[in-house]
Amino acid sequence: MKFVMNYIRKEEWSPYVAGILLGLVGIATVWASNALLGASGAFENLAGMIGKAIAPKVFDNIYFNFIMPPGITWGVILLIGVFFGGMIGAATSGTLMWGKKGAANSDAQWKRIFGPQVWKRWVLAFIGAIILEYAAGIAGGCTSGLAISGGMLLAPAAFLFIMGMFASGILTALIIYRKRY
Amino acid sequence: MTNFVLPLVFGAFFGFSLNKAGLTKYNKIVNVFRFTDMAVLKFMMTALVVAMIGLYALRGLGLLTFPAIPATYIVGNLVGGLIFGVGMSLSGY
Repeated sequence: MKFVMNYIRKEEWSPYVAGILLGLVGIATVWASNALLGASGAFENLAGMIGKAIAPKVFDNIYFNFIMPPGITWGVILLIGVFFGGMIGAATSGTLMWGKKGAANSDAQWKRIFGPQVWKRWVLAFIGAIILEYAAGIAGGCTSGLAISGGMLLAPAAFLFIMGMFASGILTALIIYRKRY
Repeated sequence: MTNFVLPLVFGAFFGFSLNKAGLTKYNKIVNVFRFTDMAVLKFMMTALVVAMIGLYALRGLGLLTFPAIPATYIVGNLVGGLIFGVGMSLSGY
């Protein structure tokens, strides 16, 4: 028991152990809720809900009516859980940065490549997130909803997505890092 | 009630495992594209293998049914993946 508690307090688990945990959670979601662990869809559900309230005509299209129905869906609540789960994970290892100085730009490698300015981190995170969400909309899921959840049902879409993701990810990293690659 | 509790609990475990594997950090995500730290792949593939075996075994025993499998539209999935990779290695999500 003490060993387990000590392991939970560790900041970084072996990726295999964490992967087994995620795999079991994936099985449990399908078994108990008949749903998949998707993260990106929730943003579209919320965006649709806000959009329908502000500009109902613009959002009255096939995408927001049928493909991504707006509202507080299963995925939105899951996302809230993910947020707190991540916080619990950080809190148990004592690395929770909530409200601490330098929390907005804390990654040493990021600072080395892009500089220590906080605004740069925010701008790039914003742009990167737009790209991610847009791409997830095209592909029908993100890393968690399509690549992992789709992959565990052996969906061909998931493996096509992983192929594309790594091809362009490696290329982008090459461009950003150039000689430091 | 279970409609709210279950996704919250699953989400919490999901976030917890992501955090413990270090996938909430920029350097972990981008280093897999630089081939200097393969934790993301190890994590993803372990999860995939465990869940695949579990799900297909349970379905074989007739204990669960699969939800709608993500649709395959080759161009969309591939192009989406290609754009996704750019964002992923830019911001590290």
